Amino acid sequence: MKRVLAVVLVLAAAVVAGCGMGGQESILDKERLVIGVRSDLPSVGFRKPDGTYDGFDVDVARYIGLKLGKDFTFLGVLAADREKVLGNGRADLVVATFTIDQERKTRVLFAGPYHISYQDILTRQGETISNVRDLEGRRICEVKGSNAAQRVVDEREVAAQVVPFPDYKQCLAALKSKQVDAVTTNDVILAGLAAQDGSGLRLANTQFNEQRTGVGLAKGDVPGCEAVNRAITAMYQDGTAAKLLSKWFGTSGLKFGTIAVPQFEGCS
Amino acid sequence: MTLVQTRGAPPAAHRSGVPGRIRIISGITVASLALLFAALAVGSSSARDGLRIIGRDAGPQVVATAGLYLALSDMDAQVANAIVMGDAYPGQRRDALARYTQRRGEANTALLKAFELSSDNQAERMTVQSVLDGLGQYERLAGQALLLDERAAHAPGPPPAEVVRTYRAATDLMRLVLLPQAYNLTLESGTIVRSTYDDKALMVPLVRVAVVLAGLIALGCLIWLQVFLARRFRRVFGPALLVATIATAVALVFGVNVLGQDEEALRTAKGAGFDSVLTLAKARAISNSMQGDQSRYLLDKERADTYEHTYLDKSLSIIYFEAGNLRTYHSEVGKGSKDFFGMLGPELVGKEGQDVFRAYRTFQATDQRFRGLVASGRTNDAVDERLKAVTTAFTAYDEALMALAERHQSVFKRAIDTGEGALDRLWGLLPYAIGAIGLLVIAGVWPRLKEYR
Repeated sequence: MKRVLAVVLVLAAAVVAGCGMGGQESILDKERLVIGVRSDLPSVGFRKPDGTYDGFDVDVARYIGLKLGKDFTFLGVLAADREKVLGNGRADLVVATFTIDQERKTRVLFAGPYHISYQDILTRQGETISNVRDLEGRRICEVKGSNAAQRVVDEREVAAQVVPFPDYKQCLAALKSKQVDAVTTNDVILAGLAAQDGSGLRLANTQFNEQRTGVGLAKGDVPGCEAVNRAITAMYQDGTAAKLLSKWFGTSGLKFGTIAVPQFEGCS
Repeated sequence: MTLVQTRGAPPAAHRSGVPGRIRIISGITVASLALLFAALAVGSSSARDGLRIIGRDAGPQVVATAGLYLALSDMDAQVANAIVMGDAYPGQRRDALARYTQRRGEANTALLKAFELSSDNQAERMTVQSVLDGLGQYERLAGQALLLDERAAHAPGPPPAEVVRTYRAATDLMRLVLLPQAYNLTLESGTIVRSTYDDKALMVPLVRVAVVLAGLIALGCLIWLQVFLARRFRRVFGPALLVATIATAVALVFGVNVLGQDEEALRTAKGAGFDSVLTLAKARAISNSMQGDQSRYLLDKERADTYEHTYLDKSLSIIYFEAGNLRTYHSEVGKGSKDFFGMLGPELVGKEGQDVFRAYRTFQATDQRFRGLVASGRTNDAVDERLKAVTTAFTAYDEALMALAERHQSVFKRAIDTGEGALDRLWGLLPYAIGAIGLLVIAGVWPRLKEYR
């Protein structure tokens, strides 16, 4: 009888391993994970000259990897790569200022958000812009691949002039040379840029578009998503989240009203 | 001599071999019966475990934590309502405050229930504890905001800056700290149900196959035993063993049937009941905070853009139409196309589903009018619209959602009850079946063995 039970259990285990998720492999079944992080955003996800990565997202990715009990390596990604690397399996997780929205949710499964950020405005010192409404008639910089500036015009319906630039570096240069009056995007990105720049650019701290930054997974990996959510809950409950935020943005002029575990999207 | 001896030996060996073989065959038969009943016990206790976790722990936990979210979210909405009323609506202000107190009580009850149901889940307990702590602080801040607001005696609409500042502290605590934790508790129950179900949906059918195999082996052994006895003792019938065989066959069919029913019960409880109950609980929670965002949009001019954006964001998550801003969204919803996704996408079927969609459209239409009034500077009318038409439309929408959830809740409950009822019957009969079959086997074999004494 023991033998038969053993056979049954082995069979069960084989089925669990084989099709526990309807054929799709979960990150939980893998030994090594590849985590996509930004390579271009100082303090958020940045590739250093020696090839290693650092930043808030990178530390969050590390925490999640450790909580899942996996070995992991990082893969540098830009904004436009994030969905691709999940789709073609080059990355198992993407922790790269990946904003959750309904449209993306049809292609990507989001754990988290692990951080709620807001759209904010970076201006020169002495500039009076304090609110999205103050951008009316002003020139704002738009970086290729980001829709933040366009959202001011479309979503907030504020008639600002959008001036395109290829990257944040040139955007900041244009801001300082008064070619544009403001740069607007995710507050942590702006805070990181301002801190790196160091010339005293001013963050307006006007929190107008809430952005939920999540962890991207391949669609269908519900158990993996739930495990990441539990890791994020732990990250807030054990105080790591607060530590990481102050480590990376504590001196950037970014104000954190409340640090608490965000409302999750849900994995199903 | 040797020949005679060898000739005489076989009958002797044969004689002593028969009881031995009877014992061996009976032993195998009993062992196979034991295997059958062990498999039945494993299968049914696994199914019972699944039904208990899904039906008695996680299911009620979703209801409790969703109730917590609604109570908390409505507390904050009532405070915002009372503040935007200013000094023009004394009766309604009293009502809002009474509802605030009532919701506070409901939140308490739900917290206690959630704590009780979280049993040994440490992270869940920490979350409940943290909500409890935060709620005290929220009440203090909300009380201050209300007091300052009353002293300010302002006209309907945005209150003086000092009130806004205090209310901000309160609402930030509620929306950014307490509500997410309540919401995540609901999701955690969903996680528990999902993993339990995946487990059981795999385990129960496997055990069912094991039961069938063990049952067939047991039946085979019983028949073998009878054939052996019939041949050796030239009796065609062993009534006791015949009855034992029939009883085993009945137990087998019944057991397999019950496991099949439980599989089905688990599937129905999860797929047709729980999943929808969870989704609708989430939708109700998010919708409730949307109507809070309407009052906050009116109350806090500086953050009006933020609140309008969160309102749109939440609307999109509930019923998604492609829309870059709220104006477009309103007109898309107004068109009434059924071609949408989002949280309610797959849920809005049947009469109750259509009622929800209709009520949602009416609610969004009142929101459009309300925002139009704010934009054209008619603050008094906007407050009036918010307190009357918008609230009426929201209540109708919320009730429609509740009616839809109720339908799934009853499917869920019925499935769990059916599954547990079938198990109860199986467990009620199993001991008798085991006892009876055991006695019958003994009654069938014992007299034959006695013939050799």
